[in-house]
Amino acid sequence: MPRDPKHDILFEPIKIGPKVMKNRFYQVPHCNGFGSEKPFSQAYFRALKAEGGFAGVSTEYCSISPESDDTHRMSARIWDDGDIKNLSLMCDMLHEHDALAACELWYGGPHAPNMESRCVARGPSQIPSDFEFLTYAIEADKDDIRYLQNLYVAAAKRARTAGFDIVYVYGSHSYLPQQFLTPYYNHRTDEYGGSFENRARFWRETIEMVKEAVGDDCAICVRMSTDMFMGEAGTQLKRDCLPFVELCDDLVDVWDINLSGIAEWGEDATPSRFYPQGRALPWQAAVKAISKKPVLGVGRWTNPDLMAEAINDGKLDIIATCRPSTSDPFLPKKIDEGRLDDIRECIGCNVCISRWEIGGPPLICTQNATAGEEYRRGWHPERFTKAKNADNDVLVVGAGPAGMECAMILGKRGMRRVHLVEEQDDMGGTMRWIPQLPGLGEWARIVNYRKIQIDKLKNVEFIPNTKLSAKDVAEYGAEIVIVATGSYWSTDGLNGASHATIEGADASLAWQATPDQIMGEGKELAGDSVVVFDNDGYYTGVSMAEKLALEGKKVTLMTPLGTIAPYMHFTLEAPNQHRTLHRLGVEIVPYHLPSRVEEGVVVATHVYDEEGHEKSFAADGVVWVAQRRSNEALFRELKDSIGLDQLKAEGVDSLYRIGDCEAPRLTADAVFSGHRLAREIDSADPSLPLPFKRERRMVDDASVASEKAEYAALYAEASLS
Amino acid sequence: MKTVVCIKQVLQLGDEVEFTDDGLDVDPDYLDPALNEWDSFATEEALQLRERLGGEVVLVTCGSKASEAALRRCLAMGADRAIRIEGVARDPFSVARALAEVVSAENADLVLCGVQSSDAVQAATGTALAELLDLPCAAVVTKVDYDAGARTAVVDRELEGGLVDRVEIDTPAVLTIQTGINEPRYANLRAIKQAEQVEIDVRNAAGGGAPAYRVRKMFVPDRGEGAEMIDGSPAEIAARIASIVKERLV
Repeated sequence: MPRDPKHDILFEPIKIGPKVMKNRFYQVPHCNGFGSEKPFSQAYFRALKAEGGFAGVSTEYCSISPESDDTHRMSARIWDDGDIKNLSLMCDMLHEHDALAACELWYGGPHAPNMESRCVARGPSQIPSDFEFLTYAIEADKDDIRYLQNLYVAAAKRARTAGFDIVYVYGSHSYLPQQFLTPYYNHRTDEYGGSFENRARFWRETIEMVKEAVGDDCAICVRMSTDMFMGEAGTQLKRDCLPFVELCDDLVDVWDINLSGIAEWGEDATPSRFYPQGRALPWQAAVKAISKKPVLGVGRWTNPDLMAEAINDGKLDIIATCRPSTSDPFLPKKIDEGRLDDIRECIGCNVCISRWEIGGPPLICTQNATAGEEYRRGWHPERFTKAKNADNDVLVVGAGPAGMECAMILGKRGMRRVHLVEEQDDMGGTMRWIPQLPGLGEWARIVNYRKIQIDKLKNVEFIPNTKLSAKDVAEYGAEIVIVATGSYWSTDGLNGASHATIEGADASLAWQATPDQIMGEGKELAGDSVVVFDNDGYYTGVSMAEKLALEGKKVTLMTPLGTIAPYMHFTLEAPNQHRTLHRLGVEIVPYHLPSRVEEGVVVATHVYDEEGHEKSFAADGVVWVAQRRSNEALFRELKDSIGLDQLKAEGVDSLYRIGDCEAPRLTADAVFSGHRLAREIDSADPSLPLPFKRERRMVDDASVASEKAEYAALYAEASLS
Repeated sequence: MKTVVCIKQVLQLGDEVEFTDDGLDVDPDYLDPALNEWDSFATEEALQLRERLGGEVVLVTCGSKASEAALRRCLAMGADRAIRIEGVARDPFSVARALAEVVSAENADLVLCGVQSSDAVQAATGTALAELLDLPCAAVVTKVDYDAGARTAVVDRELEGGLVDRVEIDTPAVLTIQTGINEPRYANLRAIKQAEQVEIDVRNAAGGGAPAYRVRKMFVPDRGEGAEMIDGSPAEIAARIASIVKERLV
């Protein structure tokens, strides 16, 4: 299909400073866990977006000095010639696709914990970070300020050497330049604090110096948060940001406008649970209205109509995406080719971000199992090799996320016939009801995308309403059988805190239920009050509490954990989820584990109470979000009762299981599991993942000899004790 | 109990369509072959009759070698044998004539067709076949209650507006089967593989006779104009619709 003319505007080039972007698609800085330390992973991850049509692609935040070391989290770094070399690979690969490369120069000030470098950061005032524990900065004097500004200049020059086309002076997310601009961070009384002019001085001077140093060769981008949602203390659009745009518009080549501070940056990287796409548009439009320079802005954009509308309405010039570009690096190309139903839309779950927040691991994506695997596993999201055993027929039992993904990828790999057989009347498994939880509607994209793709694959057939026994499977006629029967919530209170069941817990009783029963089977609990017991720690427990509270029940959310849904801290959903539950009057009872339940009462003890005092919580009903268990009966019967030999005699050469059927996990990991098996279905032993390439320093004889000689001399020289 | 099921491999249109240079047909590159949806219900009905009464299910189709894929799909569901008739024009009269020749030789107790094919949508072949075979015919059948001893069938026919017409019909008869009459079974991979091995009886059409129609031109009609997108709250949208209806009624 040709591109819809209404999207033409998205493909018009735009000049930014000395550079031209070939279209309006830009990947704003976002973390991926690769930094400068994993240069090939970094380069291949970013280059795929350029291949997919993004005209500009940025690094994640890129530290300009060891004083700004975010370890345990992984940033890029441009500290020295080694970093220049490593990041130049990314630039070169972006340039091969005619994309511009951007480097987001970052100095964290008090937010940089410096756990690896052991340096101390400098900042506007000596107030500890609101994001990190035990992290203070040196209150910068005038010499420090000059030193900091020169760090930006030196880093900008290194970025230019590396081949970057766009250089950021990055302030958003409460980093150094924006700290100076913001009264919450800046308590100074000298010419760098107090009035707007004074608070803006550091940033304006730094931009001037960077512009002077590299502005002829690189476009200067300023990323600014236009509202921290902190009242008077935080940055404010009208008081601070619009005046700052007027003050610096002549120096800046492109404005990157977003929202939030760092402590609640879920207001910027908005979970779909709370915000639709384009959430920051009013703020971006306000900047656009007064600036003569192009304005780019994030918005978790996946809908080309809304993108075109934002540009046509004069609210934005450049469509900036992080998460949608990870979910589908080929978003621009698919819009260009009119293949809108092939777009793998971001669901806004933020598990990608969770990995950065956890600190260290590479990003993952629920929708795109190849995200982060471009280099280390060599997976291209849109290209597949024909399987060496493609003349086989495959039976996938269970059409949840893992089964759907596996069947889809096996189809794309050209297997002769893939039958995806499902007990229910449609695809999705538990992902049919999860999107019906409050706020999670966009998660239905997991199912919808795969349904559309499977429907297009002539070699994949979906067979609903069919429950297969082990005998049926054995006699089905498939050479390869893949069991993807998912998992269920424990019905007897079995949980990861006590590793035991709970006395009286039995979800077959009318007054007790699991999420499967309530959402999947429509079970209703009688009465006005309910205790939701959650030891899962992610979205299910709080979502059940929210749903039941919305239905008018008095809800007590009890957990043995110290806080509810701790994983939602990593997905940036926690603050607004807390607000929602508080608004709904849900009573939160942390650190409590039920010791027994009986109709009308949950008896629980504080997990740190050594004497085990019991406390009673009156409740008409109980919901168990205790733990999940694999639905492995079919797999066990096939493997243990029928046995691999008998299966072979029936023509089944191999039997695998994937997703929650193997072990319950994040949806992203269940999808990955299905994808991984399909990618490696023709390996020597597909049940075991092939090793992935690890970017690490390799020891060889020469390096051992030279390092040992150097350190022997070094230690020998240290003669004092 | 012998049931003959007449099936068709239809050609489905994708999102895009181009026509052949002579403007008389759709460019085959834009067509996907598939078993006509109605015919899977007809096959299932025949299989259920056989399960109840024993006997044989015989498939017949008109079409090229490629259309054997549709036959094999029904064979995989469980039909016993299949006949393909070569060299038949695609209009319903030509097809019915070719089918009649083969079907009459089968001496079937029942002949089942789909109500219509999804590509041509003439809904004519089944009734034309009945006429040629000189058999009674019931169209748009949603239930079959066959009495082998009495050689009759009581069948429900779907009428407009949710009405049902229950009729008794002497057999042999031709029934055109509506979707939803049953739930067609899926063939497992073993059955599909076995169906691939079945030898299909290929016949040549006798030919002759005038076609039901001749294609003069195939084209995409001009798009109408004047669509109005209505934005606003549900109340505003409802008000606007109401005012449009009033305007048009005047």
